[in-house]
Amino acid sequence: MSTSLLSAVTPLLAQMAPVSVEWSAVAPELLPTAMALVLLLVAIARGRELIVAVPAALIAAAVGIWLISMAVVVPGAVVIAVGFALPASAVAFPRRQSLIRAFSAAAALVGALVLTGWQYATVLAPTAGGMTSQEALQGALANDGIAFFTRVTVYLSALLILPIGYGYLQERRINRAEVEPLLLLTVVGMAALGTANDLITMFVALEVLSIALYVLSGLARRDRRSQEASLKYFVLGAVSSAILLYGMALVYVATGSLDLAGIGSSIGLVTTPRVVAALGLALVTVGIGFKISLAPFHFWTPDVYQGAPTNITAFMAAATKAAGFAAVLRLYMVAFPALESLWVPILAGLAAITMLYGAIVALVQGDLKRILAYSAITHAGYAIIGVTANSDAGLTSTLWYLLTYAIGTIGAFGCVIALERRRRGEVTLKELRGLGRTSPLLAGILALSLLSLAGIPATAGFIGKLLVFQAGIAAGLTWLVIIGVLSSVIAAFFYLRIAATMFLEEPDPERGLPVVSTGLSLGVSVAATLIIYLGVYPQPFLQIVETAAALVR
Amino acid sequence: MGIITITLAIPVLGALLLGLHDGDDRTSKIIALVASLATFVASIVLLVQFQVSDANLQLAERLTWIPAIGAEFSLAVDGVSLVLILLTTFLTPLILVASWHSITDRLRGYLAAFLLLETAVIGVFAATDLLLFYFFFEFSLVPMYLIIGIWGGAGRKYAAVKFFLYTLLGGLLMLIAILYLYGQTGTFAYSDVLALSLSATEQRWLFLAFLVAFAVKVPVFPLHTWLPDAHTEAPTGGSVFLAGVLLKMGTFGLLRYALPFFPDATTEFAPWLLGISVVGILYGAIVALMQGDIKRLIAYSSVSHMGFVVLGTFALTTTATSASVVQMVNHGLSTGALFLLIGFLYERRHTRQIAAFGGLAKQVPVMAGLWLTVSLSSLALPGLNGFVGEFPILLGTFQINRTAGVLATFGAVLAALYLLWPYQRMFHGPLDTADNANTSDLKPREIGVLVPLVVLIVAIGLYPKPLYDIVEPSVDRVLTEVAEGVDAAGDVLGTAEEDGS
Repeated sequence: MSTSLLSAVTPLLAQMAPVSVEWSAVAPELLPTAMALVLLLVAIARGRELIVAVPAALIAAAVGIWLISMAVVVPGAVVIAVGFALPASAVAFPRRQSLIRAFSAAAALVGALVLTGWQYATVLAPTAGGMTSQEALQGALANDGIAFFTRVTVYLSALLILPIGYGYLQERRINRAEVEPLLLLTVVGMAALGTANDLITMFVALEVLSIALYVLSGLARRDRRSQEASLKYFVLGAVSSAILLYGMALVYVATGSLDLAGIGSSIGLVTTPRVVAALGLALVTVGIGFKISLAPFHFWTPDVYQGAPTNITAFMAAATKAAGFAAVLRLYMVAFPALESLWVPILAGLAAITMLYGAIVALVQGDLKRILAYSAITHAGYAIIGVTANSDAGLTSTLWYLLTYAIGTIGAFGCVIALERRRRGEVTLKELRGLGRTSPLLAGILALSLLSLAGIPATAGFIGKLLVFQAGIAAGLTWLVIIGVLSSVIAAFFYLRIAATMFLEEPDPERGLPVVSTGLSLGVSVAATLIIYLGVYPQPFLQIVETAAALVR
Repeated sequence: MGIITITLAIPVLGALLLGLHDGDDRTSKIIALVASLATFVASIVLLVQFQVSDANLQLAERLTWIPAIGAEFSLAVDGVSLVLILLTTFLTPLILVASWHSITDRLRGYLAAFLLLETAVIGVFAATDLLLFYFFFEFSLVPMYLIIGIWGGAGRKYAAVKFFLYTLLGGLLMLIAILYLYGQTGTFAYSDVLALSLSATEQRWLFLAFLVAFAVKVPVFPLHTWLPDAHTEAPTGGSVFLAGVLLKMGTFGLLRYALPFFPDATTEFAPWLLGISVVGILYGAIVALMQGDIKRLIAYSSVSHMGFVVLGTFALTTTATSASVVQMVNHGLSTGALFLLIGFLYERRHTRQIAAFGGLAKQVPVMAGLWLTVSLSSLALPGLNGFVGEFPILLGTFQINRTAGVLATFGAVLAALYLLWPYQRMFHGPLDTADNANTSDLKPREIGVLVPLVVLIVAIGLYPKPLYDIVEPSVDRVLTEVAEGVDAAGDVLGTAEEDGS
């Protein structure tokens, strides 16, 4: 039934639209969107789910039969099955609604990942030669390497976070009906940001994901810090959106074009007012710098990361960064390459400040979520090195870095969630004492995630740092890479401090054991496996990354 | 799969097995010991297959690893890496037996950490791909950090973090240099990088980056400050492995990478490095003399001894540089044995203060005899292994720089002082306190651990030729590469020789 709603209107839309729509370019997003709408409707229907479920099942059946009649047998059958399973489960297990929601959302995300793979195999890399790119909706969307990797990172992050956060939300009694649909909407916004190829789409996608995240971070209505986080995020987010929009407007004024390729080709012309374009670029940098928490636009990050429910924090840290960077990559590499002499030094300076500031301030933090928040800031700095390189290698290394960072971050926050459930509150370093003795596996996974974030060999983070540093050096930014190295050593110190607290100190007998639910252990185990796999044998993925530089320009 | 990969894989498989099984401590110990012995056997097979007359990297194995970025899982050995691999596989089972009863807390983790460490170190010595080398080089930090941090002494946390951060910083600077070289070649293959011709400026900076990484590891004065802490706080096995093998990763790296990659820079900086080594030799010796803690004393003696190794390496003559490789092995054996003895004594008395001991020779004659033998080997008494390494180093240094030679010889004299004086204070004199009178002598297991070391100490001392035969061709190859590189670049050699004389 999930696919039903949008898929059902597909032929209708196709008739109405003046031009043909390349559905394959947005196929992965259709599933979560449809599921988000259905779940929202179910949420609104409250106790009368059947009012939503039955029509949805009927629509699903119709769409499924139509698909089968079009000789798309397997997806058609899946649609029918899902369409009937949902209302059936709603009737059969009226008390397990949140579990059904979580499973439905996970199913949609799995479907999105499968469709992303299908898209890669059929559209992006139909031959072994490498990746091509696809333009859709008259250039509003670009389906290419950036889009592919953003999708993979975002869908994977959401898929890992769902089981990790399930028990946590339940225990804090914030597993409300809007959580899953909002999460799916965020994901769709992020994926759309990864494909957005003009300023309007970009802005709309950014707002979709931001607004859903404002709500999600304020999920804990009785927790004052969660409310503070939500409000802070909202106010500062709105300001930054306004700045971004102002910048986009200036860029439009200067170039007369909204789509990135058009901006890119006209921005170098003599007729383009350079000052206006540069001003627009500066404002866009500030606005987007806020979204990816680049110093000095990062001030919201520690408070919001600390206050928001931890699973939302993990998702924000991992996925928002990936999506934000997708926009950054497109803006600077497609729209503004002509102003390279302007933005490369600025971004390099911001990267240097970000890397050092994040690492140094993290040293004096006692709260684990805050430490990880500052670590997230530091990592934005590393990822920016790849953007600053302004080369194919820089582009691909950034995409790869974001994926490895997302997995490491989710692993780390996942373990924090287990600890937070023990304590029902903030997690300070003290809480970790002797965890290596009381729950060695959890401590091991947390340590592994931290080693990955620190970039130690045999973890995914090492390959990430390697590629980013390599791109930086190849672009002649050795000084920036040296700063990156210094910041890595400082960062290693606070990661080690966490590991040392777990393994080198004795447990406090008064403290209880961390609460590890099945979902949480599943999520963090998958993250840990990916960390080692991508760290030891990254070849299958790197092969794809290497060809990801074919952009719609 | 070739013999090097097998040697490399056995310990990590043993560690995996340790992680999977749920048995008691005894089974764990047996698994670890069997794995380390199997590794030793594999390395003996490696020795048998090794062509002594061939100076090149041999028994090469290549597997695809990350072709997307031009990194390969390629391994090969030359004489230098072979003897160091043998040293590693020889010391590991001894270390495991030595800590048979002393480690009871989280034993499985301890054993697994040692096996992982062994794999990492063998990987460092055998890798012929720069990324693979770096991979193992940095990975070795993690198990060693845990060994010091979890099973170490009172100040273990500080020592472990200091060790980790020092080495990480050096390593990352080397990573930048590796990535720069990668930018030139497009692969990480050793032979490709060797074939590069770099400008003098490039060489200078890249050499310094490699130098920092390796100098921290050796450690070269003034980057040595992590070593006394790490050595003192590490458990006995950790100290033995650190002194015996991990420090050699630094001197090995200099010889394998820094010298042949950057010949101009090598000859340019060689006089400076001779000077720094001499300072390190004397500094380490003098500070060792002032230590009240016997383990800390031996730690500083390592700074001094490794100074000799670096001195020999940068003398850049076949005699001295080969001797410095032999000295790496010697230092591993004698300092390793000393740390074992200190560990055994500590288990009995729970103190390491020299002042707490006295007249022990009457009470523990076996320990005293072994201690004296090993000390004499460490201070380079003719007939024992230290002499056959240290003497040619001094000889070679004399030939190129008399002042450095004379000063370094003072270091050798001081070694006699800082090794024999504590021996005298601890083992001779009146047996005055009750603690001393109740100290028990070595048990058969402990003697069994030390005997192989002492046998090698004597054997190398009396007949070092086989060791030199293995090492010399490879050292010659490296020095030829340096000389050819310099000739190709022109006049730099002339000025370097002037500086050196």
